[in-house]
Amino acid sequence: MTNDLLLLIFNADFLFSLIRITAPILFAALGAVIAEKAGVVNIGLEGIMMISALFGVMFAYWTQLWWVGVLGALVVGVLLALMIGFFAFELKTNIILAGIAVNMLGAGGTIFLLSMLTGMKGNTGALVTRELLIPTINIPLIKSIPVLGQVLSGHAVLTYLAFLFVWLMWVLLYKTPLGLNIRAVGENPDAATSIGVSVQKIQYIAIALSGAMAGLGGAFMSMYYSQGWNSGMVAGRGFIALAATAMGRGEPVGTMLSSLLFGLAQALRTKVSGIQGVSSYLVSVIPYLVTIIGLVAYAISIKNKLKKRSPASKGA
Amino acid sequence: MKKFVLFLLVAIMAVSMVGCSQKAAEPTKAPDKPAAKVYKVVSLVNGNLGDKSFFDSAESGLRALKEAGRIEYKTIEMGGTDKDQPMWLETLNEVASSGEYDLVIVGTYQMPDYLKEVATNHPDQKFLIYDDNTYVGVNQNVVNLTYKQNDMGYLIGTFAAKMTTETSVPKINPEAVVGFIGGIDSPVINDFLYGFLLGAKAANPEIKVDTRYVNSYVDTATAKEMGLSMINDKKADILWGVAGLSGNGGAEAALETGKAWFIGVDSDQELTLPADQAAITLTSGLKNVGKSIIWLFDEWDAGRTYWGKEVRLGITEGGVGIVTDKNFAKIAPKSVQEAVLAAQADIVAGKIVVPTAIGDKTNAVVTLRDSLQP
Repeated sequence: MTNDLLLLIFNADFLFSLIRITAPILFAALGAVIAEKAGVVNIGLEGIMMISALFGVMFAYWTQLWWVGVLGALVVGVLLALMIGFFAFELKTNIILAGIAVNMLGAGGTIFLLSMLTGMKGNTGALVTRELLIPTINIPLIKSIPVLGQVLSGHAVLTYLAFLFVWLMWVLLYKTPLGLNIRAVGENPDAATSIGVSVQKIQYIAIALSGAMAGLGGAFMSMYYSQGWNSGMVAGRGFIALAATAMGRGEPVGTMLSSLLFGLAQALRTKVSGIQGVSSYLVSVIPYLVTIIGLVAYAISIKNKLKKRSPASKGA
Repeated sequence: MKKFVLFLLVAIMAVSMVGCSQKAAEPTKAPDKPAAKVYKVVSLVNGNLGDKSFFDSAESGLRALKEAGRIEYKTIEMGGTDKDQPMWLETLNEVASSGEYDLVIVGTYQMPDYLKEVATNHPDQKFLIYDDNTYVGVNQNVVNLTYKQNDMGYLIGTFAAKMTTETSVPKINPEAVVGFIGGIDSPVINDFLYGFLLGAKAANPEIKVDTRYVNSYVDTATAKEMGLSMINDKKADILWGVAGLSGNGGAEAALETGKAWFIGVDSDQELTLPADQAAITLTSGLKNVGKSIIWLFDEWDAGRTYWGKEVRLGITEGGVGIVTDKNFAKIAPKSVQEAVLAAQADIVAGKIVVPTAIGDKTNAVVTLRDSLQP
């Protein structure tokens, strides 16, 4: 059995699937990162992904152009996030409630929307053919390197974008004036206000970017991962992203690593379920088990850090 | 704020307008045939016709009965969205109270609660519910029609196992491995699986069946990952998806790799999948709602009634079957087609009895599943 597992894991195919599984989680997690940095909790990622996923398919179908679909999903993501922002910042709703409302919209409202737009129920069925999906790219040089080429080349455009955004997000947060403002607003809004930064404006920008990320995650789900939209298709990835962000301490790179960990758990589950004699009930626990192990490791590392710090703080 | 109120108003108006447009009910008159009793039937569809699935199947059965002069019927499309649901109970109450009908037909897992309430309040009205057995026996005026998925699985298993070694067919590799993508490791899904495994093993003793469960009926992406792994790691070349909407992930995996075929379930998925996926769908396991309704009227006319009972309809009664036209006829070699039809004939003749996984204390399906896992 262990041999089977090793054979299944140590191949290019497994690593390729790991990247593919991670991408949508990473998109949503980056959305959570930028919001969190500005002191905004965007719990509506799951719902935004669901709705964007639907609109991505619809825009692509209406125009018969895949990239219009992706842009449409992004715009819808931004609008939904701004709506959460509007309720939270202007109307002073609890932002968690606004986020939950969007999640519920994503679950039930999408079915209603689909029925209104197309008369279909449950899924977009025959609307989407492969030509409307996000294309994959073979990277010229890397493609011909034996194992590495198989792992890194041939992904969808959005998969590469997801990992590119990790770097872009880091640059935005740590190398630009806007990033400085976002972090300032997140850490101490009063201090930010005192130097003339509009907290509300910065928070709107942050949550809009958060929505854009979730929107792209949604497009990834329905326009590459699956061929078309069906109800419930995001299946908790928006919530997993929140956990990944917490485990990654809200930093772009850390969040990418924790997203990869969650991707690894999912990829493992897929492979292990094909091994003889392994209980399907145990297999379905793997992602949650990895989450718990990850959180424990995270808690231990934090605790150790605090221990190291504490003598110093005594001195102060 | 004003704008927001305006938006709300517009939204409410839009909703109510859509609601109105969905009420379409064409009463149909049938020529009187005084010889046998002509039943008056109403079929309540908790959705709309044109689903190419259960509702259309029920409608085709009713139409056939009407053309044979055996019933007069009326179909009411109640709509399937959340906002339509409050009307379901009301409509059901209305037709039951009218006392006009000999039989009220409803179906699917969404209706039993409404039906229980209405059937209790109208003990003299007869009801039929298809593809649900939530409250069997609670009301003595309700018959539950369900379908033997194990019978269906047996036919699909026979077909898949015969097909997977037909290397003259494109995409088929020499390895005798097929895949089963299940929704949840539960008695109902395992009932499909049990028939599938038994049929496959009978058709080819060397067969291996890669069984995996998505653990969700909506997570198409995970189902696709599993399908890809079956195809790439285990050389499976035929996948049967029995996982609701997730199941379609199997078709996507087959299409993406170009190395496998897909088999659908419940309704003829060649008609509902996108064109490129339909092209690689060999056949589908069917629940024949329409034929099961005809069967019930046959029995009724013969003086046999099943009120207050669940009737599980298998191949013998025409309740389940396999799609045998389109890709099945075009792509499957004659020998494979004949093997499937022979298995079907054997079940009808009683030569083969497919056991069920539901209520099986020995859990034989799990033992068999594990022994066939590649």
